Amino acid sequence: MDAEPSKNHIRNVVKQISFLLSPRTIAVIGASRTPGKIGHEILRNIVEYGFKGKVYPVNPNADEILGMKCYKSVLDIPDEVDMAVVVIPAQFVKEAIEQCGKKGVKAVAVISSGFGEVGKVKEEKEIVETAHKYGMRLLGPNIVGVYYAPIMLNATFGPRDVRVGNIAFITQSGALAIALMGWTILHDIGLSAIVSLGNKADIDDGDLLYFFEQDRNTRVILIYMEGVKDGRKFFKACKRVSLEKPIIVLKAGRSERGAIAASSHTGSLAGSDIIYDAAFKQTGVLRAKDIQEAFDWARAFASIDPPKREGVVIITNGGGAGVMATDACEENGLKLLEIPEDLARKFRECMPPFGSTKNPIDLTGQATDEKYEEAIRIAMMDERIGGIIAIYCHTAITDPVKLSHAITRAVYETGRLKPITVCYIGGERCYKGMKVLNEANIPAYPTPEQAVSAMAALYKWARFIKKEKAAKTSPKS
Amino acid sequence: MSSPKEIIEAAYKENRTFLMEHEAKRICKFYGIPVTRFKVAKTAKEAAEKALEIGFPVVLKIISPDIVHKSDVGGVKLDLKSKEEVIKAYNEIMENVKKAKPNARIIGVLVQEMVPPSTEVIIGVSKDPQFGPAIMFGLGGIFVEILKDVSFRIAPLRRKDAEEMIREIKSYPILAGARGRPPLDIEEIIHILMAVSRMCMEHPEINQLDLNPIMVYEKGAKVVDARIILEKKA
Repeated sequence: MDAEPSKNHIRNVVKQISFLLSPRTIAVIGASRTPGKIGHEILRNIVEYGFKGKVYPVNPNADEILGMKCYKSVLDIPDEVDMAVVVIPAQFVKEAIEQCGKKGVKAVAVISSGFGEVGKVKEEKEIVETAHKYGMRLLGPNIVGVYYAPIMLNATFGPRDVRVGNIAFITQSGALAIALMGWTILHDIGLSAIVSLGNKADIDDGDLLYFFEQDRNTRVILIYMEGVKDGRKFFKACKRVSLEKPIIVLKAGRSERGAIAASSHTGSLAGSDIIYDAAFKQTGVLRAKDIQEAFDWARAFASIDPPKREGVVIITNGGGAGVMATDACEENGLKLLEIPEDLARKFRECMPPFGSTKNPIDLTGQATDEKYEEAIRIAMMDERIGGIIAIYCHTAITDPVKLSHAITRAVYETGRLKPITVCYIGGERCYKGMKVLNEANIPAYPTPEQAVSAMAALYKWARFIKKEKAAKTSPKS
Repeated sequence: MSSPKEIIEAAYKENRTFLMEHEAKRICKFYGIPVTRFKVAKTAKEAAEKALEIGFPVVLKIISPDIVHKSDVGGVKLDLKSKEEVIKAYNEIMENVKKAKPNARIIGVLVQEMVPPSTEVIIGVSKDPQFGPAIMFGLGGIFVEILKDVSFRIAPLRRKDAEEMIREIKSYPILAGARGRPPLDIEEIIHILMAVSRMCMEHPEINQLDLNPIMVYEKGAKVVDARIILEKKA
């Protein structure tokens, strides 16, 4: 029988990953003087993003890079080195790792390509064995690097201006890591970490899950994967970690052709998608269907706490948008609360006579920001309501930015007792308004379906936790 | 009776990765899975006697390490109601098998109780290269074959997982008692799922398992056919 990993084992893994993500000193082996080269851009990102530790460039052919003294070998560095970033051609990697081992480096991130993904399985195995010989863990190869916000470490060759936040992003695809770094900046999404896993020759999703479980800077873990190398290990890690933090997985290779593409991409055994799906369900992992959905959910988990009870209200100024949101609720398994008479009377005060106090609460096109504020306060204070979805269609009556301030007041002054997701449908001012909300940790989306889907994800995880707790206390389990 | 371990080892010794039905059912029985009553008979006369002990009607099935698909070679006779019918069926099976597979080694026949028809469910296990034993559940017949209405979970199952995988299939209302029909014994299905999970966790040699069909009644259930395929020995 295969046992659950011991506390000791997990503690050890966390410590090893800490050297990788939170090092005090870094060596960049293969640092380059030439802008545009990966060995140059990584070093520059580390320096310019404001890494709080020390960084040492290593290159036998350079004396100085970016004004820093350059060392011929990692062995020449007059300091302890926690982590080494390796950016040299594949055939030299093994030797460099050997030297890292001798130096006492704790973890290596191998950026270099040209291993398992091009059939050089033996070479890949050798670099891992070399690292392990010296007790080092190895990230990669074939990666874009790592980013860890708490120490301002950006050891990637992606964008420099990543937004600090509390979403940890683990990705098998390197290109997607870089692309989504830019994308998250554009959409005001903050990240606590980005780890590019590449070929997963040693460190994999399972290891990182244990690290982020205990990482105080991370509220939600988002994984892009095509497949895992050790399904059993991943399964056990998810089982444990998703009780503490939500795990969102974007798994490509759902279709048969997609699975073939995935297996040729990083050389991973893709396995049957249906089994992955089962593993996700069983461990409470939330499976997103695309990038948009994955980050929509992550934004919600990053900003607000999951609901404590069932029963959602939709507050809207447009009947049509309310109907669309209602459909989406039904499709996503969200229960709309039947509004009791006493509560209906309260909502009645927020709308003209032709408004509706049936859920969705229709404040009508005449709704001002004051009326929204009032309605949201009522919903926040009423104990029978579990979650709020507020929808606003752009009208000349209310300015979106002003409305955002009103919603923020209503949410914060009532103590943020329950989750709220917001949807603004309209033009440029709406996007400005949503930015205000997102910055206030009130997740806002441009369509009703997205606001509902995010709320549904919060519910899905909350229900999973509740069921798990019930199962633990039930004598039959 | 031999233990599961002994049955598996005996098969490996004969270079078999396919367990015969009586072997698979013995392993099931060991784990408390309700299987149809069965006895092994080596002659027509013995078959008739065993049928009498089990009670009519019975089913006869050929037992051979070389025959996986028993019906395809005329090796199955259903609904036998008397000693005479059993003897006749025994001889017919032997003739059919001799014609279809002249070189097959014959152990005898399985005399098995014929259970009343009811709603059929299927429980299966196949070993996933990533996640290990994956357990499947579904309703029999068109539900599995055409509608692909099945659910999967990774072993080991907890009770909660077993409950969820039963409820997850679209045809669940049929089990729960739709359209005025009485609800079927879901508790017994949970019991079988958990037993199957235990079985494949304790015997990693099991590569595939099929309990198909399982008749589910208002009270209780019966596994009518069981198939186990072992991992190839390295």
